[in-house]
Amino acid sequence: MKNDSKLELKISVFLRAGVILAGALIAVGQAMKFRLDANPFFNFQTYDPIPLQELILFHLQRRDYATLVSYAGLVVLICLPLFRVLFTAYLFIRQKEFALAGIASGVILALLLAMGLGVEL
Amino acid sequence: MYGILLIGISVFAGFLGSLLGLGGGIIVVPALTLIFNVDIRYAVAASLVSIIATSSGAAASFLRDNLTNLRVAVLLEVGTVAGAMTGFLMAARINAQALFLLFGGFLFFSAMMMLRKKQDQRALIDHPWSATLGLGGEFKSETGELVAYKVAAVPLGLVAMYGAGILSALLGIGSGIFKVLAMDNAMKLPMKVSSATSNFMIGVTATASAGAYFMRGDIRPEIAGPVALGIIVGSWLGARAMIHLPAKLIRKIFVLVLVVVSVQMILRGLRG
Repeated sequence: MKNDSKLELKISVFLRAGVILAGALIAVGQAMKFRLDANPFFNFQTYDPIPLQELILFHLQRRDYATLVSYAGLVVLICLPLFRVLFTAYLFIRQKEFALAGIASGVILALLLAMGLGVEL
Repeated sequence: MYGILLIGISVFAGFLGSLLGLGGGIIVVPALTLIFNVDIRYAVAASLVSIIATSSGAAASFLRDNLTNLRVAVLLEVGTVAGAMTGFLMAARINAQALFLLFGGFLFFSAMMMLRKKQDQRALIDHPWSATLGLGGEFKSETGELVAYKVAAVPLGLVAMYGAGILSALLGIGSGIFKVLAMDNAMKLPMKVSSATSNFMIGVTATASAGAYFMRGDIRPEIAGPVALGIIVGSWLGARAMIHLPAKLIRKIFVLVLVVVSVQMILRGLRG
């Protein structure tokens, strides 16, 4: 097995930086909206699915930037493993391991397809 | 006050998860449902985000120790991602009571698995798929010598990962316990390698369903924000405290807590 540990370490450093960025965005968003007396979970005691597009539009119309910044942090976090697999595919291509690179590319496509499952048409 | 309490619980979940090698979902979902009365579907979605944070944050240390087998991980992700997609589609058809019962059963099973004695079993012959893709590898043992290993029963491992992916999407967990179990017992990977490889995989598995839940609007910043923040801080603290704390004793206490919480989740499911 060929070793490409420097690139693997770069990937892991990238992931850690991504987690810090996501955490910072979420922290800013939460701090902007923080209220000591409020119960933010009151509206979530019963399940009421609202598509993401509607939620984003709602917060944009209300100029609720705190929630939008938190959403940005969550997007960064959710996309990190996608980049992780993308870098792994690149690593396999560098190692001329084309079968594994193909499998990794298939996983990326499946992840994108999975996101599509949540979109209400 | 509620937000601060949730961040505190999530810090604790991340800390304990990092110490015991678990994802935070095992603590976050019961806390959100039993303490904050959040609907289990929102709790599951928020928990998946915390798993991504744990897995991505811990990647550096595992890769540095050369324990993660990227080849095995990528191949098995085919099974876990397919399972997570199936689980997401199933979740829409399963009611909250059934999810509570399933989660309670999973917690009890996890508690039993944490008590099991672990023993390395090594594969003597590479499975043909492993030989073709070069899945075998080597890792540095405690004595510093390089130990080579082969990989057995790859198709069985893929089927097990499909099941682990379904559970991950349904319950908001990393399913690390099932992944490690399959890699240890079926594929005969060394335990250290299977733990590190599982950690690499849980983030990808969680992303498959988290992406879908996010697009459906189930991941709400009001819940997932404090959870993700707490887990990031907690797992960072846990990784640093690991060498100073009696992990074996904490594990035994945690098993008791898991059994109690599992009973509460099952009772909540039965009450309806």
